[in-house]
Amino acid sequence: MRQIKDVRLGDHVCLTFAHETEQRAVAGAFVSDGLHRGERVMYFTDEPAPDGVLGWLADAGVDVAGATANGRLEVLTAAGSYLSPGRFDPDLMIALLRDTVGDSLAAGFTGLRVTGEMSWALREVPGGDMLEDYERRVTALFAEGDSAALCQYDTRLFPAPRLGELTVCHPGDVGMNALAEDDRLCVLPSYRPGGELVLRVQGMIDRDSAPAWRAVLEHAAGAGGDVWMDIGELEFIDVAGTRALARTAGLVGGAGHRVRVRHATPLLRRLLRLTGWDGAEGLSIEEDVRP
Amino acid sequence: MSAAAADEGAPPRLVHHALLYGSDGEFLSATEPFCREGLAAGDRVLAVTTAANIGLLRAALGGDADRVEFAEAADWYDAPGRALAAYDRYVDAHRNGHGRMRVIGEAAWHGRSAAEDAEWIRYESVLNAAFAGRPAWILCPYDERAVPGHIVADARRTHPELLTPGGDAEPSAAYVEPELFACEHDTLPLPPPPAHPLADFPFDGDLYFMRRAVRSALAPLGTSEERVGLLLLAVNEVVSNAVEHGGGHGRLVLWADGPVVVCDVTDPGQMKRLLPGYLPPPPMSARGHGLWVVRRLCELVQIRSGDQGTQIRLHMARG
Repeated sequence: MRQIKDVRLGDHVCLTFAHETEQRAVAGAFVSDGLHRGERVMYFTDEPAPDGVLGWLADAGVDVAGATANGRLEVLTAAGSYLSPGRFDPDLMIALLRDTVGDSLAAGFTGLRVTGEMSWALREVPGGDMLEDYERRVTALFAEGDSAALCQYDTRLFPAPRLGELTVCHPGDVGMNALAEDDRLCVLPSYRPGGELVLRVQGMIDRDSAPAWRAVLEHAAGAGGDVWMDIGELEFIDVAGTRALARTAGLVGGAGHRVRVRHATPLLRRLLRLTGWDGAEGLSIEEDVRP
Repeated sequence: MSAAAADEGAPPRLVHHALLYGSDGEFLSATEPFCREGLAAGDRVLAVTTAANIGLLRAALGGDADRVEFAEAADWYDAPGRALAAYDRYVDAHRNGHGRMRVIGEAAWHGRSAAEDAEWIRYESVLNAAFAGRPAWILCPYDERAVPGHIVADARRTHPELLTPGGDAEPSAAYVEPELFACEHDTLPLPPPPAHPLADFPFDGDLYFMRRAVRSALAPLGTSEERVGLLLLAVNEVVSNAVEHGGGHGRLVLWADGPVVVCDVTDPGQMKRLLPGYLPPPPMSARGHGLWVVRRLCELVQIRSGDQGTQIRLHMARG
């Protein structure tokens, strides 16, 4: 999975999310990155009016008033975009996008970024069953390199089989930007349906990556709720890193929440036992098996 | 008469006695009242000793034997760091509901190498620091019929008081505070590594490179993944310390010695810490746990430190 900051013109990526916090982090970064790069940005919302999106974009620090005033940012409803002919027609939509790319370049933009909330396809909309066909074919337009698209799928709304069929129609998927990213440690955040932070920890935690790990743990301690720590892809964690994890769990536990560690190795379980750190107030070592 | 009575109402402290005995009768004349007085006072009583002595003590205690917990020395004393941890957990687990812990702790002194003996002797000394202020009374019997004379002599240096077979405690004139205690072996260099070790390379701050090199050096031994992980963790902690405190670089040599993997980490710095890794860091401390954990992971940890630098030798079971 790629990080949203790495998406460029030419990309056609999908986001599957389970909570608004994640959706807004990814879509917000997509929008502000595009504006920053001199691209024209269009946001297709499934809400009845664009105000909600404009509101949270502004909260996230996007200069909504400035960007909408000079046409760099436009928020449209699904009814006013995908469904403007009164039905969903992949050919019309692709043609419309192609025209818009041309117009954008002619107007001096470096390209066009579009992002859409796709849940309209779950309603009884004529042509809604053509969405897979559209997703597959529109890739070619973006691949020309003058435009990029982020398609947003809410996993709480889409049945898993349909979601699976739709995601494979995209050349790639994206998630939130990493909390820590250096040569040896990468921590990717996401959110569970209940709004709990999930941290997917990849790589190594040792003296070299200790500052990055500390920053991650500070973020976790400040999340204000349970934190799921998936360490199935963690290759190594040293004693200081384990100690820091247990201390963070103690802080989180003191606030009435838990740090739930998934896919811990037998070695880490043993280290926690022999140090007694497994007794940290907010620490849960989940019993699931490491993949 | 007894130290227990003298301590009435005083803040908890460690009592650490050696009993040098020369017969079964002398063993029992001290240990049986030790147990009985403890039971009468509501103390928790644990006897870790040889199978033969467990039999003697059980018979002497009769019906009271069931209220004493017995453990065989060979099981309990498998590695100095782990034995410390085991006593630590035991004292913590039973501190509620009992006035204090009484332990008969008789280590198994036969079948060990001189290097292992040295670390077990040091362990006896470290107990004085590790359990200072804990409500524990530890009685360490030494069988003068079986234990080598130099180990009995060191018992006088590692125990603040000696218990006579009559049951009276007297200060040990030879006692040395744990911070100052050094085995005579400490000044001797460790035996050199073999001519063709599994690995011999310099390291700097790149711990990932170091771990990768150790992992590939271990590959021919067919060691289990969990064992490899334990060894990598222990070596990582020692090398991290060398990088942090020892001048940022050093040398690592790794070899197999029978059922054990041995790893030497040397660096040009001098270790200033007293009792390195023996005592847990303060509860709220974020740092400084590395060597403390290493002592619990390894069968044996040997440290030589001086003007010329520091050498830490880890011994860890292969299987």
